[in-house]
Amino acid sequence: MDQILKERDRLLQRTARLYGLSFTVVSLLCLGIPQAVPTVTYAFVVPLYLILGFTFYRIGISRSPIWLALAIVCGTGIMVTVAVTSQDGLTQASFSAISQLGAGALGSLAVVLTSTVRRIIGLVLTFIVVASVTVIATTTWQSPLQTAALLMLGWLLPSIIGIWITASVPLAGRRIASIGRAHRAERQASELEAQRRQSARLLHDTVLATLTLLAHSGVGVAPEALRQQAADDARLLRQLRLGATPTPQSSGQYNLEPVEETVLGTTLESVKQRFGRMGLEVSWHGTGQVLLPSDVLDAFLLALAECLENVRRHSGVTEAHVTIVDDATTVRAMITDAGVGFTLDDVDSARLGFKESVVGRLKEVGGSARLFSAPGSGTTVVLEVPR
Amino acid sequence: MSFMRSNDNTLDVLVSGKRAPLALPNRQPAPRRGTLGTAFIGIGASLVVGIRAIYGFSWFIGQWNIYPNPVPELVAWILLIAVLVTAYIVARTVGDSLPDWMFVVFLAALALVIVLDFVAIWPLHDIGRHATASLAAAMSLLLVLTLRGTTELLIASGCAGLGIALAMAVNTSPDVDNIAPQLTSLAFAVLPVVIGVMLIRGFRRMVQIELDRVLIQSTVSAPRFAVGMLASEELARLDLAAEDLLDSVASGRTPLPLRPKTASIAASLATELRLHLIEGRRETWLYHAVTESEMLGRSVTVTDKGGLAGLLDANQRDGLLAATWLLVSDTAKGTAGRTVQIELGPIATERHPDAGRKLTVPILMSTTGVVRNRVDPSTWDAVRRVGRYSDSTHNSSLRVTIECFVDNPAEI
Repeated sequence: MDQILKERDRLLQRTARLYGLSFTVVSLLCLGIPQAVPTVTYAFVVPLYLILGFTFYRIGISRSPIWLALAIVCGTGIMVTVAVTSQDGLTQASFSAISQLGAGALGSLAVVLTSTVRRIIGLVLTFIVVASVTVIATTTWQSPLQTAALLMLGWLLPSIIGIWITASVPLAGRRIASIGRAHRAERQASELEAQRRQSARLLHDTVLATLTLLAHSGVGVAPEALRQQAADDARLLRQLRLGATPTPQSSGQYNLEPVEETVLGTTLESVKQRFGRMGLEVSWHGTGQVLLPSDVLDAFLLALAECLENVRRHSGVTEAHVTIVDDATTVRAMITDAGVGFTLDDVDSARLGFKESVVGRLKEVGGSARLFSAPGSGTTVVLEVPR
Repeated sequence: MSFMRSNDNTLDVLVSGKRAPLALPNRQPAPRRGTLGTAFIGIGASLVVGIRAIYGFSWFIGQWNIYPNPVPELVAWILLIAVLVTAYIVARTVGDSLPDWMFVVFLAALALVIVLDFVAIWPLHDIGRHATASLAAAMSLLLVLTLRGTTELLIASGCAGLGIALAMAVNTSPDVDNIAPQLTSLAFAVLPVVIGVMLIRGFRRMVQIELDRVLIQSTVSAPRFAVGMLASEELARLDLAAEDLLDSVASGRTPLPLRPKTASIAASLATELRLHLIEGRRETWLYHAVTESEMLGRSVTVTDKGGLAGLLDANQRDGLLAATWLLVSDTAKGTAGRTVQIELGPIATERHPDAGRKLTVPILMSTTGVVRNRVDPSTWDAVRRVGRYSDSTHNSSLRVTIECFVDNPAEI
């Protein structure tokens, strides 16, 4: 709110500057009409006009009351000088110049004199001073009543501008603040929704695996199996979209329920089935029943599936062996194939996605992955996660 | 700010950041017409016009005996009053913007008032001293100040001024005694509209800046790493696209094996999805605040490799945001050429004696085009809320180094 009040003051200041400067120019133009005032008068008023112009420029930037006072001194000074030096009485042009100053240029000060009680008191005093000087200076030319009416108009309009802007800004500020609150709720909701979708990681893992198969045009996989896989994944995504927490029973390989601990064995079996459908025979060895916290299990299964996917795609064999061993602190999986293998230095890590999807994911749960391979002698990956 | 004939309402302004086309996640909403509070300003403008009209009307009554034929003048005033009342009522009911045809009718009626006034005072051969209704009519453009584009109003006001000036040139002899009243009348006809237009432009700009500031303020309470307003929509879009593709494969609509084009769609979907799932959540609130803000986005760059901004607590974030905002938005000299670079980290290795168990994150705010003694004093209050700071001048622009103590994320 403080910010917008500061902006409001700036807006009022700039308005006062424009207002004051434009009427000062008009007043000077009136005075510039031939025979408006005796030549000697110019020597006094032109510098005063210049100072007045500079003062209005400063009022546009600074809130200091010094500039307001200086403007009043200059403005009334010009009026008095013109009135005193015109021995033959005012001309039409000099009268216009004075009324432009009194009712127009100096009236602009009212724009910035409305925001606080002290400033309003200042406004009233200023008006009294300026009005008296103007009325006295022009009394030979026009009846005081008419001058007073013009001054009232000239000061009332900028006062209304000032009061109105002063009042409307907090109003707008409050409405903007309520929009801000709504926006914060919106942001939180958006954050939650993103979280919900991102936390459906296992779902996305299977979707990603299927999409990757499709990206290779589905070559090497039985069309029926791929269709089945696609149907399962599409169904899961639909459930996610409709706001449910998908519990994929039929494809079975991913457990999305927020359970604390899950038995490894049942999920391993479903991974095996999935790769079986895609033409990679996976043989399990070792422990079948290990309890793991669900986030660790997620990471473990993802890494395992990524490794098997790499075997399926790059090794050139259709069989892989997975050995699961566990001790008091760690669960370890060894994925071995007898395929073509590769030189570790040649591996295009971006293509394999090994670093991001396997190492990165395991690290998040405190695990690690190691890769052993040589051309012609197959590949072994060791995955470790804490229990 | 350019005027847009859109039907922006408050709600549109609110959600426009979110409804941006998903293909352009960081797109800023188009320049918005700030409508907040302008209706209230409209009432104020009507009040100003009303007072001006009363003043002009009393002049009209005062010089009743001067008119050779007062009938056109009387008609002009009756018409003007009718137009003012109608325009006021319409302006209160029409909502946000005045339809084109109504605006044309309004302008035509005002033009008629000016013509009638001139017809009545033509034989007097002194328009400046005797014009009443025409001057009030020229100023009445302020009635639609908040409902029409500011450029249109300036053009209309310019035309009115030109018309009055032409009539004066033709009708009134350019006598030394006559020039000043003509000039005065012309100024009273045109200047109020010009001032009003500049005021409303400034007001709209102010509202827009405040809106921008308030909207990004919500990042202060975001978690350490956040996804930003558009991420969940983006993820939803990708999920839906994947679902469609998988569905069409499953139902056999897309035959297997896939055509290369479909396969490449699948590949890019997988890549994007992977990016959003694995690479997502690496941006801090500060990044989102800067990219989502029209104001900051233009001139602020953030370097925060470790995502350390996320460690700042809400108060520190608020201070950092406010300080940045004040450095960039100080409009005394315009914001052109002002930039702020915020650099966070790396975390100081040696523990600061005052820091206790907290970590010290060094923040360097280097600027261009910001003069030290022109900085808003409240900037320093804001910086102080972030941490201990020292400031210096580099290439004649301000540079602030802040030592910010944050909770160690490993200990909470």
